[in-house]
Amino acid sequence: MTAMHTTEHKKRGAVASKDRARSGLPRSRPAISLSYVILFVGVAIALVPFLYVVSTSFKESTSLFSYPPDWIPSPIFWGNFESLFADHPFAQWTFNTLFVSGAVTALKLWFDSMAGYALAKMEFAGRRGVALLLLLSVAIPISALIIPMFFVVRYLGLLNTYWALILPPLANPLGIFMARSFIVGIPDDLEASARLDGASEFTIYRKIVLPLIRPGLVVLGMFTFMLQYTSFIWPLIAVQDSDRQVLAVGISGLQSAFLQDWGLLSAGMLAAAIPITVVFLLVQRAFVFNDLSGALKE
Amino acid sequence: MSAMSPRADVAVSLIQVAKSYGDVEVLQPFDLQVAEGEFVVLLGPSGCGKSTILKMIAGLEEVSHGEIHVAGELVNYVRPRDRDVAMVFQNYALYPHMSVRDNIAFPLTMSRRPRLKRGVIEARTVTAADIVDLTPYLDRKPAQLSGGQRQRVALARAIIRQPAVFLMDEPLSNLDALLRADMRTSLLEVHARIKKATLYVTHDQIEAMTMADRVVVLNAGRIQQIGRPRDLYTAPANTFVAQFIGSPRMPLHDLEVRDDGILHFADVTLTGDADVPLAPGASVTVGLRPSALRTTSSASACFVGEAKRRDYLGSDSYLEVDLGEGLSVVVRAEADAEVRPGDTVRVDADPGAIHVFDEAGARICGASVCRRER
Ligand SMILES: Nc1ncnc2c1ncn2[C@@H]1O[C@H](COP(=O)(O)OP(=O)(O)OP(=O)(O)O)[C@@H](O)[C@H]1O
Ligand SMILES: [Mg+2]
Repeated sequence: MTAMHTTEHKKRGAVASKDRARSGLPRSRPAISLSYVILFVGVAIALVPFLYVVSTSFKESTSLFSYPPDWIPSPIFWGNFESLFADHPFAQWTFNTLFVSGAVTALKLWFDSMAGYALAKMEFAGRRGVALLLLLSVAIPISALIIPMFFVVRYLGLLNTYWALILPPLANPLGIFMARSFIVGIPDDLEASARLDGASEFTIYRKIVLPLIRPGLVVLGMFTFMLQYTSFIWPLIAVQDSDRQVLAVGISGLQSAFLQDWGLLSAGMLAAAIPITVVFLLVQRAFVFNDLSGALKE
Repeated sequence: MSAMSPRADVAVSLIQVAKSYGDVEVLQPFDLQVAEGEFVVLLGPSGCGKSTILKMIAGLEEVSHGEIHVAGELVNYVRPRDRDVAMVFQNYALYPHMSVRDNIAFPLTMSRRPRLKRGVIEARTVTAADIVDLTPYLDRKPAQLSGGQRQRVALARAIIRQPAVFLMDEPLSNLDALLRADMRTSLLEVHARIKKATLYVTHDQIEAMTMADRVVVLNAGRIQQIGRPRDLYTAPANTFVAQFIGSPRMPLHDLEVRDDGILHFADVTLTGDADVPLAPGASVTVGLRPSALRTTSSASACFVGEAKRRDYLGSDSYLEVDLGEGLSVVVRAEADAEVRPGDTVRVDADPGAIHVFDEAGARICGASVCRRER
């Protein structure tokens, strides 16, 4: 039986190798049950706080501290959300955050992939030096950079502008290294062939390299977007004007030293989570991997 | 054969070209001319510098020394795309995210001057695909093709450029034997049709012998011999070529010429060609081409020895024969000849079977059996 199965698999060769990830030895029943238990506990630990936030956001502050807590608020209270948009520039914050995160992500992917291409594939004097310098700068903690960055941005007169939020994150070299590692994996002969066929360096980057590293870039982009969406310290320092502020800072401002409106705060957090979830769902389709198979002889 | 000066009918001319990476000399200076329409094969073992030669002609590697001319023009400082050469890469280098159609059309879509109209590109793509029988597969991705089909896509992508010179780097390696033979034929058909100078790299001597107008044999960065397949076989320039070409491998024996200028090989004496006498006392290497030696029942046989090992190769089988004094030869035996290890065998040598090389391995002359001594 098993032997027949194996030959079946071998016959389908090329196809089978693609969903190799799925194949694996069938496991015993107790092992499966145990893994479900562990997964369930993990999911519960991850979800309970979030569900508590959801529940809190639909409650009036007065009914918050009833014990035992009622998980399903009744009646459902929409006041927190109304207040979010009526008493605070929540829509503006959302726009700011999406705009800044989007701009940072787009620019970063562009710069990182171009710099990654140069570092991975082009011969130029000082290439190793540049790479080393970039690598060193990764090691500098962000907290050490914040004060100097503040002075630079103030000197440039960019405080309180979108530029203050967009420009500094672009200088983070981590993405360059990721892009470089994607591009190093592309066989040199592919570019050599394109070069021989008349493609310029930029065309090679655009038409050959970019499409091939797209799955990697999607991951990098998602990563950058999330990081940017939740960034807190730098916007807190660089922007004072509430209308220019981003969600993370705006929401944290909803609580003050004297007043803790947990309902409002929870509503803010929940509402802030919605756009990024939507973005994630939209981008998910792009995670489909188009691998290099077919480029070379096996 | 010394270097000719570049002529009009020479498609590619390499003059004293050499390549080194830092201190490592990968190719020693060499000359090579490829005529218009000629099919030249670069043959040599792995790592001998075959791909490097192609890449230098294509402009993907700089030359360390010497000049490269394509179609009469010095191209040392010309960009790869302006050199009018097309290359089929050792590993195809197809663009995996593009359809077969887009892969083949790629060189034309890159063309700036003149910028080609879409209709023209499409028409030429279809023509190129037709030459290599790929028309039904135009809309597939490379991953959905077999090895042989991928190879043909790479070929079509070179053909579509209508270059002055084709460079092909082991295009048939990694294909199974049957497909390989097929592709060999269709490559030659394509070559006969478009008649462009082609430099073809392989480490397979059969491919080289069957396809080439001329073969360039390389070893360890040095050209060993340039010649027609027949010449390499009948007059190998040195022991490397003698052993690399021909199957089974030619056995070699180090011997010394006697003071009277006669070379003793087992119990026979060998003489060199009349015009190249063997120097008395010289150390030489003698090689006997297995396919030119055969078992015989005639009493006038050249050699007599004891049969050792026997290898069947389909129609022929080869027999190792021990001639005594530590000398042995490999000879062709009829497949149905009844010979067992230990039997006494008589061996006849065709003319051109025996080659004599000097101490450095360069060929001195052919030799013939003078007489049996005892
Ligand atoms: N970038 C490089 N730096 C140093 N040495 C190199 C470099 N590229 C190639 N070589 C060396 O040059 C020699 C020739 O390489 P080449 O690729 O031309 O061999 P080849 O004859 O095509 O071999 P194969 O049949 O395996 O393809 C090899 O010994 C290789 O190690
Ligand atoms: Mg090679």
